[in-house]
Formats: sequence, structure tokens, C-alpha cells
Amino acid sequence: MKIIVTLKQVVDPLTPVSALKVDGARRKILGPPDTPPVINGYDEQALEAALRIKEEWRDGECQVIALSAGTGFDLDVMKRAFAAGADELVLIEDTALDTWDVSFIVRTLAAAIKQLGGADLVLCGRQASDWDNAQAPLMLAELLGLPCLTLARRVEVKGQHVQVERVLSDGIQVMEANLPAVVTVTSELGELRYPPMRARLQAAKRRPRTMTLKELGVTATPPAAVEMLDLSLLQIERDCQFVKGASEAEAGRMLAELLIGGGFIKPQQA
Amino acid sequence: MSGILIFAETDDGTILPNFWEQVSAARQVADPLGGGLRVAVQGSQIKDASDALKSGAEQVYVTNDARLGEPWSEAHLETFTALCRELQPELIILPRTLLGMEIAARLAQRLDAGLAQDVMTMQLAEGKLTVTRPVFGGAASATLRLTRPPWIIVPRTGAFAPAEPLSTPKGELVARQANLVDDALKTRRISRTRQTSKINLERARVIISGGRGLGGPEPFQLLHEIAERMGAVVGASRPPCDSGWVDSGMQVGLTGKTVSPEVYIAVGISGATQHMTGCSSSRVIVAINQDPDAPIFRMATYGVVGDWKQVLPGFCEALA
Ligand SMILES: Cc1cc2nc3c(=O)[nH]c(=O)nc-3n(C[C@H](O)[C@H](O)[C@H](O)COP(=O)(O)OP(=O)(O)OC[C@H]3O[C@@H](n4cnc5c(N)ncnc54)[C@H](O)[C@@H]3O)c2cc1C
Ligand SMILES: Nc1ncnc2c1ncn2[C@@H]1O[C@H](COP(=O)(O)O)[C@@H](O)[C@H]1O
Repeated sequence: MKIIVTLKQVVDPLTPVSALKVDGARRKILGPPDTPPVINGYDEQALEAALRIKEEWRDGECQVIALSAGTGFDLDVMKRAFAAGADELVLIEDTALDTWDVSFIVRTLAAAIKQLGGADLVLCGRQASDWDNAQAPLMLAELLGLPCLTLARRVEVKGQHVQVERVLSDGIQVMEANLPAVVTVTSELGELRYPPMRARLQAAKRRPRTMTLKELGVTATPPAAVEMLDLSLLQIERDCQFVKGASEAEAGRMLAELLIGGGFIKPQQA
Repeated sequence: MSGILIFAETDDGTILPNFWEQVSAARQVADPLGGGLRVAVQGSQIKDASDALKSGAEQVYVTNDARLGEPWSEAHLETFTALCRELQPELIILPRTLLGMEIAARLAQRLDAGLAQDVMTMQLAEGKLTVTRPVFGGAASATLRLTRPPWIIVPRTGAFAPAEPLSTPKGELVARQANLVDDALKTRRISRTRQTSKINLERARVIISGGRGLGGPEPFQLLHEIAERMGAVVGASRPPCDSGWVDSGMQVGLTGKTVSPEVYIAVGISGATQHMTGCSSSRVIVAINQDPDAPIFRMATYGVVGDWKQVLPGFCEALA
């Protein structure tokens, strides 16, 4: 069993808007200079899904490879994949990969997957928190000609199939696909395990494998189907009117009265 | 390549209300684009396909098939791709639902089309389509140019006011076959469990949402009680959904539902951009949070700094 997990390095999505900056020329969002990037949250969860599958196999029978395309990798951050239990970490680094062009990223990931000899299962996050596209895994599946199941909170390999529990907006759907397949993971799956100290120390000593666009034979072919013309931060602020009372319960009562008085809410007749 | 094709998603055989927002987006560019409007309705036991003619479409293609009665993306995608290949539309508009977003991405790869998800505004000039959309969890806005057709767009829920249905539609209904070969499909449905009560957050007038600050599933009972007293619907931020305190269908935000009620009351929610992007167009936002520095107070109209355990009983009493 060979599982490839795609990881994207992103600016921490919990950075307050006031601490973000836009690099106008490169149409990029920058975090504060002293804060490290993170592995996209859903991708960590995809890694967790892979590690849970690996636990079902005997030692050496299931291999988990983490794969990332990007630029300016923070190795301490990316090596957390090793610490958590990935067998290999493959980084494709090139400034050209810092792009809005999903199709280019997808062609790069597909080429790398082929270079790695393919996979039985490709696990991805449901979306990356920088551009919120939720596109790459679906396009990757199309390009590789693989079935794709999305929004999994549980992923189970059963012989030649993968079974997932999908979280829909109104319930749960269980779906199955033939292997090899692409599966995207959602937050209900749970957090990536926190590795013990020993694993973290060992991970620090390990080296990622690197691949170049040239080796993979991938080039950006402009004009891209979608170009970013402009990027700006949104500061949605309202003047908050604080409701204060003699006690917190009193403030709650005053708040309700204010909303009723303003015609915003209406008490229902019992 | 010419004209506009709308994918009308159905649920239980009924076209989703998103359809009229898609029509509104289509009407914005229909004149300069030319080529007319067509609609694809896919589902099982479709009841109201003729309503789609009131969009002004020349043809409404109706594909009725038991396998299209669920958000099974492969079945829908294969069916819709065949139609797109036949009609060669210049612009394709899908609804911002889990199914719509997924078909959009895979179709973009199949048709080598430019795709923009979560579109707020749209403009056509000199043969190029320019759109704006939020990115980075709603912290920023990007202006994108879709360089060459075909174009695929997924309008943000609520960004385009629903279009007015025409009183005298002129178009025709065209029945189609799904042409799905079960053995050729690579994915299979095993089962589906739906929530018994259909809560419609997207169209609610008043919403009261709970966050991680509620500390567990039980306090949501109190939210339901309060909601009942003021005719509201209960929502949640992501942590209560991830922790299984409440159904994931209640999640508001970037990866949950986009809502725009008259009043949005957030209890024990810090106000992360990924949550606020789902409710920022509410007319009034009310925050109850014990931390005076919580970011939500910068986006709220009214706020109470305090422990919900004290504040909510007072609030509830005033509704009696
Ligand atoms: C790509 C991506 C997509 C996401 N999508 C979504 C989404 O769709 N929806 C969503 O909600 N989140 C989403 N998130 C997560 C989001 O970033 C936040 O982590 C989340 O919204 C935080 O939820 P919260 O405010 O309930 O919890 P917290 O941030 O932990 O805040 C809890 C709040 O409760 C307050 N509190 C605690 N105890 C009390 C008390 N007794 N009385 C009053 N107040 C109290 C605290 O002061 C605090 O402000 C997404 C994140 C990413 C990266
Ligand atoms: N540059 C990348 N390197 C590795 N994985 C990626 C990259 N871009 C996207 N992905 C994967 O695709 C998912 C969806 O990304 P997106 O379509 O950008 O929202 C992410 O959660 C990742 O798992």
C-alpha cells in the first residue's frame, strides 16, 4: 500500500487581518515576518488519515509519502510530516510555483506522483486556506484519470477499494471507489497526532527528497486560464455598541429588549 | 462556443433556490455575451423543471435518473460534461453547493476552462471576464481575469439578488438520458443518512450560533430554547461541528453555510475571518463573549462582554 499525501505550506490562516500585508507586485499575502508558515490544516488532517490507514498494516507494508510543491519552504515546519510518521517527504521547490495558476500546480503534482511510481491512494486536504479554491485535488484526479471522493471524515481501505464517510451539508454519505483513487479530507476527521519528543528529534535529522520542475518536465504555459489582477485586504469593521447592565444577566435582558425594540426580533407566542 | 449554460441543482426533485441567483448572474452578462441562455436540470423525479423556463432560457434540458437524485459527483459530472460538449457554452454557471463546486473544478480540467469560485461581482469587457471573490478566509479580495472561454463561475450565495421569473416563458423543455453505464463508473454509493429536521440556515431571518466557548453539546439546548422563543434557527462555528457537539450542517462560515439574516447572534465565538465571511452580510451582528478583546466585537453591531452562562438566561427571560 502506497499513500501519497499532498501538503501545502501556507501563511497561518489565524493571523489577524491587521497583521497581514499584501505584496502588490507578486499579488501575495504575507504574514508577519517573524511568524512561521504552517502546513495547510486540512492537509495535516489528510496526513492523519494516511497514518490511521498505515496502522492497519504490518510494518513496512504501507508507505506514506508527503508531497509538496511551493517555494520558500520552512523545513522545520515541513519536517513535522516526518515527526508525525511519514516515511518520506518530497519537496518540489521553485519560485514559479508561488502562483494562482492551479492548473500549473496540478500538472506539477501529477508529474511528481508519476515520478514516484504512482500511488494506491492520494490523500489531499479539501481546500487550501490561502486562496480557498478547493480545486487542486479534483483537477489532479481528472488529470491522472482517477476516481475522486471528497469531504471524508473517515477513510478506510478495504481490499481493492477505498470507503469514505463524506460530510454533506445535511448529513452523511458513505461512498466507495476503486483504487487507485484521490480522496479529500475535511476537518471532522480530527487533528494530526502530536508526535512524541523522540520522533521530533529524529525528524529534525532527516532530509526531504527534492525534485525540480526541470526534472519533472513541467513548465508554466502562459497565458493561464485565470490571472490575478489585484489583491487587497478587507477590513470589515463596525462600531460596536456595548450593552452594559448592573449584572451580566441584566445586560442579557437589556440586549434582548434592545433587539425587540428595534424590531429585529419578535418574541413568539407560546 | 456561445451562450450561457446554467446547472440547476435539485434536491428531492425540486430546483434549489440558488438557481435564481445564478440566473441573476447570467442576466448581467447575457446581452454583451449573446448566444442565449440554456439550463440543465439534473435529478430524480424532478417536479418543477418547467419553472426553469421562467428564467428566459431557450431550452431547459431535463435529465431524470435515479442516480442523479443524490449529490453523487461522478454521476452528475459525466451527465453534465456530455451536455457541455454538445452545446459548447461560453459561460457555465454552477451553484455554490458542495456538488456545484466539485463539478466546477473537474469540468474546468476537462474543458480546459478558467474557473472562479465564490464570485461576488462579474464584468465582461473586451472578450474577457473579470470577477472579484474573497480569498484567505475572507480576509482579502482578489480580482481575477478569466482570459479565454469557456468560463466557469460559481456565484457566492447571496451575492446576486434572485432574478425575477418571467410571466410568459417562451422556451422548451428537452428530455435527456443520463447515459450512465454502471459498470463504467469508478465510484459507488453505499448509503446516505440525512438529518431528519431540515434546517434552512441560508434563508433564516434570525440566527443564534454557538461556538467553542459553549464548552460542550448541552448548552446548545439552551440556544434551541431561545431560538424557539424568537423564531430563530441555531447555527454553530466549526469547533462544535468538528467535536460532534452538533451536526456539521449547522456550520456557518467559509466551509459551512453563507448566511445573511436580519440578525446574527454569536455566542462564545471569537470571530475568526473564516467564520465571519459566512455571516458578515447580516444586517445586525450581535456578539456575546467574555473576552472584551475578541475580534468579533470589531465586526459586531451590538455586544455584551460576559459569560454566556449569565447573559443568556437574562436574554431568554426578556423573550418570555
Ligand atoms: C480553511 C479554513 C476553513 C475554515 N472554515 C470555517 C467555517 O466554515 N466556520 C467556522 O466557524 N470556522 C472555520 N474555520 C476555523 C476558524 O479559523 C476558527 O478556528 C473557528 O471559527 C473558531 O471557532 P470559535 O470562535 O467557536 O472558537 P474559538 O476561536 O476558540 O473562540 C471561542 C470564544 O469563546 C469565548 N468564550 C469562552 N468561554 C466563554 C464563556 N463562558 N462565555 C462567553 N464567551 C466565552 C472565548 O473568549 C473565545 O473568544 C476554518 C479555518 C480554516 C483554516
Ligand atoms: N502546491 C501544493 N502542494 C501540495 N499540495 C497542494 C498544493 N496546492 C494544493 N494542494 C493540495 O490540494 C488541496 C486543495 O488545494 P486548493 O485547490 O488550492 O484549495 C490542498 O489542501 C492540498 O492538499
